[in-house]
Amino acid sequence: MNYFTKTLSACLVASVALSAPAFSATPPTMLVVGLSMNNILTLDPAAITGKETVQVLANIYDNLVSLDPVNRSQVNPQLAASWTVSPDKTAITFKMKDGLTFASGNPITSADVVWSFKRLMSLNLAQASFLKTHGFTAANADASFTAPDANTFVITLPKKVDPEIIVLTLGIVGPGSIYDSKTVIANEKNGDQGAAWLTNHSAGSGPYVLNEWRSNERAILDRNEKYWGEAPAMKRIMMRHLAESQSQRLMLEKGDIDIAFSMSAADLKAMEANKEVRTETIGGSGFYYLATSMKDEKFSKPKVREALRYLIDYQGLNETILPYFGKPRDRPIPNGIFGALPDAGYKLDVAKAKALLAEAGYPNGFKTTLRALSDAPFLNLATALQATLAQGGIQAEIITGSGDQIYGAMRERKFELLVGRGGGGQLPHPDSNLRAIVYNPNNSDESKLTNFQGWRTSFFDEKLNAMIDAALIESNKDAQIKQYGDIQTYYADLVPAIQPFSEVVDSVGMRADIKGLALNPSWSTQLRTVTKDR
Amino acid sequence: MSYDRTAAFMRQAGTIFVTLIGLLILTFCIGRLMPVDPVRAVVGEEADRATYEMVAERMGVNLPLHQQFFRYVGDIVQGDFGVSIRTGQPVINDIAHVMPATIELATFAIIGGAGLGIPLGILAAVRRNRPIDHVIRFLTLIGHSMPIFWTGMIGLIIFYAALDLVGGGGRISDYYIGLVPETTGFMLIDAMLAGDWEVFGDAVNHLILPASILGYSSMAYITRMTRSFMLDQLNQEYVITARVKGLSKSRTVWHHAFANIRVQLVTIVALAYGSLLEGAVLIETVFSWPGFGQYITNNMLIGDMNAVMTCVLLVGVIFIALNLLSDALYKIFDPRTR
Repeated sequence: MNYFTKTLSACLVASVALSAPAFSATPPTMLVVGLSMNNILTLDPAAITGKETVQVLANIYDNLVSLDPVNRSQVNPQLAASWTVSPDKTAITFKMKDGLTFASGNPITSADVVWSFKRLMSLNLAQASFLKTHGFTAANADASFTAPDANTFVITLPKKVDPEIIVLTLGIVGPGSIYDSKTVIANEKNGDQGAAWLTNHSAGSGPYVLNEWRSNERAILDRNEKYWGEAPAMKRIMMRHLAESQSQRLMLEKGDIDIAFSMSAADLKAMEANKEVRTETIGGSGFYYLATSMKDEKFSKPKVREALRYLIDYQGLNETILPYFGKPRDRPIPNGIFGALPDAGYKLDVAKAKALLAEAGYPNGFKTTLRALSDAPFLNLATALQATLAQGGIQAEIITGSGDQIYGAMRERKFELLVGRGGGGQLPHPDSNLRAIVYNPNNSDESKLTNFQGWRTSFFDEKLNAMIDAALIESNKDAQIKQYGDIQTYYADLVPAIQPFSEVVDSVGMRADIKGLALNPSWSTQLRTVTKDR
Repeated sequence: MSYDRTAAFMRQAGTIFVTLIGLLILTFCIGRLMPVDPVRAVVGEEADRATYEMVAERMGVNLPLHQQFFRYVGDIVQGDFGVSIRTGQPVINDIAHVMPATIELATFAIIGGAGLGIPLGILAAVRRNRPIDHVIRFLTLIGHSMPIFWTGMIGLIIFYAALDLVGGGGRISDYYIGLVPETTGFMLIDAMLAGDWEVFGDAVNHLILPASILGYSSMAYITRMTRSFMLDQLNQEYVITARVKGLSKSRTVWHHAFANIRVQLVTIVALAYGSLLEGAVLIETVFSWPGFGQYITNNMLIGDMNAVMTCVLLVGVIFIALNLLSDALYKIFDPRTR
């Protein structure tokens, strides 16, 4: 053996000898969570976008109330002990729980609550839209959010709206998160209200505090020893950035992570036979849908849109492409939300679609484009839809791309057909879905109401807008439920520009010995109740 | 003579400056022409027009392109590389954090790649058309052809999941995070400085597979180039003369032929190392390695031009530095260039 070979062999042996054996199984008091952190740009609740950030912050910040993970209409007290709505439904008064403190040790008072909401409105970032929708602004914040005493917080509604939706909004992580105002103010820079500091620090009262956040690497949450509620079993939560679903699966099956939040359907399916792991699925937020642009002459015709309705293979799409991430739904309000009607029961019916197209003046079909994100499952959905559209004579060319390319075209109203996902739903109230997917207050190009999918699709109906507005302020619950039912029926009759075919569900992989994990459809899953049976 | 040296230095400095400015202009133009919207990344899909416009003004993206560019260049001249949209931190801090992870990975990869690639290339050339040559060429063909992210996943499935020989994603097991102070950012060095050999072993355990895969990919390229250079030399008359004069085969190969290809090898190894430093994004993604490749790619995907431009500048500086190092090594290895 020559000198070179001897040296090489020695190096190989040394590297193996020096390397420690791979450490399997997470420590019993540390929960390790794998998720993709690509969309986490900040941990300031007022500025966040996306589900993943909510999943982190749900464990750090408290709200006045929390949304029940099982009964979507139920709101539970959190920092507030109770609340009452004024007889004229213009104000909601919250009584705070006594003696609670933030992680810093500062007492939680109504002044912190007022400060948190005023900050939310004055920064006017992503999360402010939840309250802006109901007339709250930075200008009226002083009048809207008041604290008559240290234990009482009053929210005065700027315009007539169902107080229930406001209470539900306060349970959303982000707009409803309550900050330790003293701590944030102490870290303010150049009048930014602590925005820079809160990017990677926390000032909450939740069961955990943020120890460290490294973008696209990890977030470490340590147990808040001053937590006012029942102490969590896990001393530390390690949230690891694992962009690849297969990596999450391998590490979950090996026991190097306990929970995997961002796995693909293929990997979840591959894990089915493994007894050491399991999958839980829960309702999510929004819908998968086929959208048409009514600016296009073809799709402005109701019969053409109705034909599209019958060229979607609802069952096939849900069974073959969307297991774990969607379940059949053809109404604009998801199951489980009050007022939701049963499915209309649309099915793939090529003959009916062809007849409708012929009536509309397209007996031989036509050519069009179908946009979809290049990520799963959108491209697969687009491919399947292309096939069923073709059966009806519609030749759809698929255009794929990133979010900016696909939804950008939608925001500019420069598309024909699009497979997308959206439609509100983080807030468990029918108005959240209808406002996002149906409502369009101003159909002019100049209004640029890109936050309304109705505007993006140029779908506009004054009567429908009025019905949605009226339902929101209806004070009689039974009447309100009937109104939402009427909206869904009328919406179906109009043959809308957005046809849902699946409502979003979320699936999470976890080790079989994980107990106490209650997934929340509004993304705010609390990890404080998790234990490991080992 | 002094005047000639000064002139040469000025010419080189000018070339470097023009190269870097050209890089910045090209990157900026591509970044702004790409269909990515950094404002949308910050405000989210559901934001209304007022929020969008407010953030766009704050980020300066509604200014004319040339103003945006000059503003950026003006800032970096003053040492301000801006703040990353993705992390909210100064870009220079981010790079200082991610660069050691990539240097560690790339360095081990190139040690393996060059350490194996050069001898294998020489062996293949010396044993041309023999079975060992075919085996080596087959192995290098595989290294060139297999998509590296696929190799990475297969490596994880076999060596991590099935055989339990190496660590999974990340630089270190979760259990060890925070146990050694982060002095240099190089996990192995920090562990050694802290005297924590358990952490050192765990870090090696996590490094070995991604570095091996990257190294294999580099090795494929270096082996083929080395073989090609060596074959060129072995066909020269001086080699035949040396053998006829009674010199042993190994002395002829190593002391004569190899000496004449060192200069070329320096170039290809330097280029390979530079590529590893800036282009290992796929392996970094598969192995959740928080390195430079992932950083620059993720920032490109949301149009964070502060971060992208700074990274491009850094990559330009790295390649220029590697070229200068190659030039210096030429002078050592080949006296004719002095």
